[in-house]
Amino acid sequence: MHEGDGRVSARKTSGGCLCGAVRYEIEGPLPPPSACHCSQCRRHHGALGIYTLAPAERYKIKGDRNLAWFESSPGIRRGFCRVCGSKLFWERIGSGQLDVTMGSIDPPSGLRIGRHIHLEDAGDYYDPPSR
Amino acid sequence: MAQDDKAAVRARGHCLCGAIEIEIRGPLRDVVVCHCGQCRRQHGAPPGYTAALWPNVTIHGEKNLKWYQSSPEARRGFCRACGSSLFWEPIGQGRVSIAAGCLVKPTGLRTVRHIFVAEKADFDEITDGLEQLPHSMSAAAALPPPPTTVDA
Repeated sequence: MHEGDGRVSARKTSGGCLCGAVRYEIEGPLPPPSACHCSQCRRHHGALGIYTLAPAERYKIKGDRNLAWFESSPGIRRGFCRVCGSKLFWERIGSGQLDVTMGSIDPPSGLRIGRHIHLEDAGDYYDPPSR
Repeated sequence: MAQDDKAAVRARGHCLCGAIEIEIRGPLRDVVVCHCGQCRRQHGAPPGYTAALWPNVTIHGEKNLKWYQSSPEARRGFCRACGSSLFWEPIGQGRVSIAAGCLVKPTGLRTVRHIFVAEKADFDEITDGLEQLPHSMSAAAALPPPPTTVDA
């Protein structure tokens, strides 16, 4: 359920990878996700990168020995499950906050995509939304 | 190109870190977006897949390719170095689905349909007006087209 500012009023969000080796919990409301069309996200996900944001000190990760990180550009790293390959996180290293893939959240998320970004770098095999 | 040449590379792709490179010779299927719960978890979002026959796919850096068997019938291939999703394979059918996001532009591909829309997540929006199927598509539709020898 959305409130006036577009934030959802969920108290706790849970999620994890396909095989269950990595799980997480996030306390409090989450912002509407952004759908990223950049070539890095498209290569990594084989899809758009659709992420919400877990603020610092509001998330806990379980099974993080199975969480692998790849530094995809200076200061940015992407987290995935080394067992099943599920894409979970995008992090500006040192920021403390964590971008979390919408696909990894246990449904229903209660969230709707708020914006599309990097449309100039979209794939040529689909028509990106105009907004 | 006047004709499909078995020796000509139709498309190239690679994972985010470049440890795995692929070349596809022969026809590629149009792109199909899958909204099933397994794809959503593994990719982090609904993926768009093209498809090819295995004999037409060359993989360089295969030691970096890790397979995860996600159901009795299928396995998913990703780069163990960077985590990029590359393949979905229905085991034993001689074909493989290839994540369109890994392909180098221009791909020459178009998205034609959405499948497993019955499992679509609440955040997932379909706004393109393309065909939507509640579950899987037919076996015939899942295959790449046959090679053509005459320019249309």
